[in-house]
Amino acid sequence: MAMGKYLAKRLLICFLAVILSVFINFVLVRVAPGDPISIMAGMDNPNPEMIEALTEKYGLDQPILTQFGIYLHNLLKGDLGYSYRSNLPVMSIIGERLGPTLLISLTSAILAAVIGVALGLRAARKRDSKFDKVFCITSYILDAMPPFWLALMLMLLFATVLGWLPTAGMVDARANYTGFARTLDILYHMILPVLCVTLLQIPTFFRIMRSSVLQALGEEYITLYRAAGMPQKTIFRKYVMKNALLPTVTMFGMTLTYSLAGVALVEIVFAWPGIGRLLLDSINGRDYSVLSGIYLMLSIAIAVITTLLDAIYAWLDPRIWLK
Amino acid sequence: MQIKRIRLKNELILGRIWAIPSLRVGFIMLLALLILAVLAPAIVPYDPTVLNADILSPPSSQYLLGTDQYGRDMLSRILYGARTSLVIGFLAAGLSGVIGIAIGAASGYFGGKVDKALTFVINIFDMTPVFFLILIVIALFSSSITNVAIVIGLTTWTANARLMRAETVSLKSRIFVQAAITTGEGRWRILLRHIIPNGIYPVIINTASNISAAILTEAGLSFIHLGDANVISWGQIVADGRTQLAGGWWISTFGGLAIVITALTFFLIGDGLNRFMTPKLQK
Repeated sequence: MAMGKYLAKRLLICFLAVILSVFINFVLVRVAPGDPISIMAGMDNPNPEMIEALTEKYGLDQPILTQFGIYLHNLLKGDLGYSYRSNLPVMSIIGERLGPTLLISLTSAILAAVIGVALGLRAARKRDSKFDKVFCITSYILDAMPPFWLALMLMLLFATVLGWLPTAGMVDARANYTGFARTLDILYHMILPVLCVTLLQIPTFFRIMRSSVLQALGEEYITLYRAAGMPQKTIFRKYVMKNALLPTVTMFGMTLTYSLAGVALVEIVFAWPGIGRLLLDSINGRDYSVLSGIYLMLSIAIAVITTLLDAIYAWLDPRIWLK
Repeated sequence: MQIKRIRLKNELILGRIWAIPSLRVGFIMLLALLILAVLAPAIVPYDPTVLNADILSPPSSQYLLGTDQYGRDMLSRILYGARTSLVIGFLAAGLSGVIGIAIGAASGYFGGKVDKALTFVINIFDMTPVFFLILIVIALFSSSITNVAIVIGLTTWTANARLMRAETVSLKSRIFVQAAITTGEGRWRILLRHIIPNGIYPVIINTASNISAAILTEAGLSFIHLGDANVISWGQIVADGRTQLAGGWWISTFGGLAIVITALTFFLIGDGLNRFMTPKLQK
């Protein structure tokens, strides 16, 4: 099938994934114990004006299909509802928290990919060597660590005991730096969270790279090149690496998805002003509008990024749509 | 002349299991965990909910892992926490396995439209931020152990479904299945008697890591106070210790170490099972 058709298929899945999230959001509020009004108001006894306002806005007294229609209409306008706690539109609350979270997510993902791929490559080349064994074991141990615990341990070591790095926040609240000094301050505060998330993501890239290099090395054409006398370095550079990197591209997207939970937890520990903290505060304050807004935004972000990566992968490896 | 004893089939299998280091270590650790968890009420040195007088005391001969800021013995709490984690791990992974097997087998066996539809569902599900979905559901409904396990099970089945589907597709073309179809065995019988029992092995291996994942997810939920408040959970212990990091490092450290060791156990078992089921050809 042509590349266009393959991409169209992936786009359709992306679109449906978002619809599913929207639908789940819609259904959950109405199915959960307690009535939708209290959930959306965030308190047990909302005053009559609030009840009326909510009922009117979401059409809660109308048939279900109409409600869904109103809900979709609001969404397309970019209206995710209001947070009762801060009286601000959910969209803007999430918007200002998204930046810091992306800063950590993307930085860590890239660092982890680079380091993990390099280590995986080396481990596969020297299979069963000490290097290989040590890093395989390390990767298992890192995988078994809960994100919030690793964050706490790193904080304990570097901030509390050694005092080298700050324990919390994105900037020094007392200093009010601007410009370049502020950037440095942010970078300084970023070290521990990024270190933590990177460590947690390296094992995935390490394993994928290692296993795909091993698989590529076992291919017949590699043996042919070896027999023909091609230097090992050239074999690696020209053929093995390119083929082995392909699954890594897929993994990059999946890692972003799976690591969101970890990033949120690490943010909570380091009091980083991102989505994680917002999540925690909303849960504690029973602010459902914010929670559902976060879920929706993340679903859309993931669907978009995954589809983008699928497109890149299709461009890199025509075999996937030439079936 | 020495006559070699005939080795029984079970002995050979056990011998192979024992030969794989990760499996050996994994099973031993699992056994230890199970014993500790099951016997916890009998072997704990103190009642885990009792507030002793020695608040925040470091590990000593009296309190092997120290006490927390309320005076509760850490060792006892951690032992009780093992029960929570293991229950949730097994329940969630079990449910995830059952759903995955059902969907995967149906998708692979019936093919055609059913396959397309189910694969679509699997792909769509893979794109949703699962942890946050679990969060919302738990926040809206209750946070009891069974609820947490069920929600985790309902949202982590996709890998199992893919594995089962691949196995089903490959098994469908095997002779013994073709024979069964030709002799007119009913579809459900074939699925239940031939396909599933033979195709289940990758799912079993995946279930081991699923158990680890479920335990880690539950720990994350308890850390942000969305876990069952009525039971002791390791995530909760780490959360308790968070405010005491400077003066009571042992609380969070040991709570988290328990999680790491348990997750490692199941990873080792999964890895070992993998090696067990795919013996390498001698070069």
